Amino acid sequence: MKVKAIFSVLVVALLAVVSTVALAQDVPREETLIFDFDRTVTDPENYNPFTPAGNTNRGNGAHQAMWEPLFILNYETGEIDPWLGTAMESNEGLDVWTLSIREGVAWSDGEAFNAEDVVFTIEMLLGDETATLSNAADMQQWVESVEAVDDLTVQFNLTGPNPRFQVDFFAVRVVNSILIMPEHIWAGEDPLTYTFFDAEAGLPIGTGPYTLTSSDSTRFMWDRNDDWWGVAAGFEDLPAPSRLIWESVATEDSRVQLISNDEIDVANSVSLVAFEIIQANNPNVIAWENDLPYSWADPCPRQLDINTTIAPWDNANMREALSLIVDREEIVEFAYEGTTQPSSTMFVQYGSMSPFIDAVVEAGYGETPTADVEAAQALIEAEGWTLNGDFYEKDGETLTLNVLVNNASTEYTNTVDVLVEQFVDAGIDAAARPVDNSTFWGAAAPTGDYEVAYGWLSCSSVNEPWASMNRYTTNFLAPVGEPAPGINNTGRWDSEAAEAYTAVVEEIGTLPLGDPAIVDLVVEAYSYIDAETPIIPLVQATKLLPYSTTFWTNWPTAENNFNHPAFWWNSAHQIIHNVEPAS
Amino acid sequence: MGKIPRSYLLRRLGIFFLTIWFAATIIFIIPRLAPGDPISAMVGDMTQAGGDVENSQAIIEGWRARFGLDKSLPEQYVRYLGNLLTLDFGYSINAFPTPVGEVIARALPWTLSLLLLAMVLTFAIGNFLGAILMWRYTPRLVKMFIPVTMVFTSIPSVLAALFLLYNFAYVLGWFPDANAYNVGEVVPGFNLAFIGSVIRHGTLPALAIILVSFGYWTLGMRGMMITVEGEDYMQLARAKGLAPFYVLYRYMIRNAILPQVTAFAITLGTLVSGQVLVEYVFQYPGMGKVIYEAILAQDFPVIQGASFFLITMTALAVLLVDLLYPYIDPRISAGGES
Repeated sequence: MKVKAIFSVLVVALLAVVSTVALAQDVPREETLIFDFDRTVTDPENYNPFTPAGNTNRGNGAHQAMWEPLFILNYETGEIDPWLGTAMESNEGLDVWTLSIREGVAWSDGEAFNAEDVVFTIEMLLGDETATLSNAADMQQWVESVEAVDDLTVQFNLTGPNPRFQVDFFAVRVVNSILIMPEHIWAGEDPLTYTFFDAEAGLPIGTGPYTLTSSDSTRFMWDRNDDWWGVAAGFEDLPAPSRLIWESVATEDSRVQLISNDEIDVANSVSLVAFEIIQANNPNVIAWENDLPYSWADPCPRQLDINTTIAPWDNANMREALSLIVDREEIVEFAYEGTTQPSSTMFVQYGSMSPFIDAVVEAGYGETPTADVEAAQALIEAEGWTLNGDFYEKDGETLTLNVLVNNASTEYTNTVDVLVEQFVDAGIDAAARPVDNSTFWGAAAPTGDYEVAYGWLSCSSVNEPWASMNRYTTNFLAPVGEPAPGINNTGRWDSEAAEAYTAVVEEIGTLPLGDPAIVDLVVEAYSYIDAETPIIPLVQATKLLPYSTTFWTNWPTAENNFNHPAFWWNSAHQIIHNVEPAS
Repeated sequence: MGKIPRSYLLRRLGIFFLTIWFAATIIFIIPRLAPGDPISAMVGDMTQAGGDVENSQAIIEGWRARFGLDKSLPEQYVRYLGNLLTLDFGYSINAFPTPVGEVIARALPWTLSLLLLAMVLTFAIGNFLGAILMWRYTPRLVKMFIPVTMVFTSIPSVLAALFLLYNFAYVLGWFPDANAYNVGEVVPGFNLAFIGSVIRHGTLPALAIILVSFGYWTLGMRGMMITVEGEDYMQLARAKGLAPFYVLYRYMIRNAILPQVTAFAITLGTLVSGQVLVEYVFQYPGMGKVIYEAILAQDFPVIQGASFFLITMTALAVLLVDLLYPYIDPRISAGGES
């Protein structure tokens, strides 16, 4: 009797189990495009991109598939491609900007995307008294007021002239742009705590051709919305992939295995060795270039920043000596295995930057790829140092140098190892000072707690020179020990030359993008950097991104350069629209 | 069987709360001793991700004010203790506005189910092997083979994890390489597809833990079995002609396993923190991963919340064992009274 009862219960339970099985719709592998992501997701159920939780999630498909930018900056041409916006123009004073919105754009719930949404989003940022929402501080600095002229036109009245207003905030200059949120959903919510997530209510929504299917800290899935507005509006065809997946990959070993087995279609940056293993396992895998360096340069060239307040490096001749000792080709060869190129200036070497780079180099302010140790030693000796055995000495003290380095990646520590060896060979008792990521960014770099720091603190410019140059003006000066605003001018460059540099850079900052006067001003400003060496540009940054052509082709490459290949950026809409099925 | 005197119970409870207060204070202080602070680290990360951040100083000040990090340390401490009393751990800094409680609640079930299963299996396998290693009827080949399997005990669990991952997930493809279930393809809930998916995803991480830890139980059990083997009652049992299996189970294992049970209860307390790297390697969304990532991001509230949880669990397990011991082993009485 008892056995029978237990048996009946089991059968009922089993039936209940089977009846609740609900599988998501199956999509064949060849219709699925799978990306790798390596960011930490603490809360997969927050899609408020203005909070840290949602900001982490935007790169896992949200801003590549669901939220579209207004414009996308093309790194090769330097032009701004229209997307949700068709144009953004300023008045002559550069302090009133007018945005035109594309006709026919709709949210995935059917509501029209219009000027009210833009005004709502910007006013929300202006109204954030805590200034902790992403870009709230920026909008509060620059925007006096914003108004809808009509359904498809928005006018931004700025607090002062800003020639970069469009490119800095609305055109995916680097990684992100300000994302417009749907007023009809967000109105009345507290933007500081709203999560914009409710699977049953169909949230989040965007204007993009994909909607969220499932969301987990290790995996994000998006399915194509075949009613996407772009087709009816004649903007773009539907993208080819039916489904997009972002899969969390923890280690380079996993990355190698997954793309070798075609379990992911595109992977985050790998080392040259890993890439060679992948290509040996899977001949369908390609990269930005067909041969060395294989990789794409990301916008943050590597460099050394020198703390100009600490002796003997407060002496410009001693800093110049350090610069002459650096052999960039050795760094490329030993630290990067040939996957990058020496920098000739502080700037990233994109097509759109070449007029400025060429002018600086032509004026004689560019960096050489190899070292001139003799010239360096002559400079050091002229300052009263004498070589005693292996190292220079003066008044009984050895010439020492600490190189601060973030130990988060072997790329950084390998480079500093090469540099330290070059300094030691030249007679400076140098040593690396590795610190963890949060110490580097949170304490050591901003407070100037270093003699020399390896990093990419001039990173910013991608299509115009001001953004990077502005980071070294005296406007950011702070005493050593206190954080430098924006982690700018952390070396505390403060001299007559620095003041003169600041004046020229400020002038550049007031000119419209593309103004022909800018090139000469850049050369003039750069002459002060060349004279006082507050920074030492090293090499271009490198991203060796493997893409598999087994299921998808037409990836961005140096030959097929419709735009850069950073698939974790807001600009990746272009990649998703461009890929084509392999068969 | 001894009864627990009230004075002993009160004293034990006092120690329990004192331990928790002491530990809570330490986990408040230690993260603050590290250079830098979480807000600067967060803005630094943003800088790193986005090239540069205009107005980062305004952002840093805004966030510091929101998390009370602009207040003096004593003020922060008092507020922290007050919040602990109501189990309010505040918000994660790195994933604001997600409450710390939610972060823990999302991760805890995975860790509990994975580790509890792994630990129970480890305990059972380890003790069983330890017992038969000493049993006189065990075939010699088996006795030779068991110590060989224990070679895994000497390697770190993260290496075992990588070994299993490479062979069984990548080369053979028998098991998935990451996640706790087939996200997006099965619906979480009480259904076969989901349960099967969870088991498939949990097998390799569980195996990584079992492989490296069963040896401790085996050795401990073997030691206890040697002691038991020499007891007079063993000779009596055999002289009575009792069946070998009956002697093994009733006379040997039941006596030898008592201290192992105590040790097991204590390890249950450390359950959650146990396998941070195994979770990381398998991208298993449990507490280990949460703690690892919170430490990297200097996310004070999450570190504090998770550590507080772990300490409370350990203290609770020790308290329970202390209180239960007189019931498990009648030869022992609470408070040293007999």
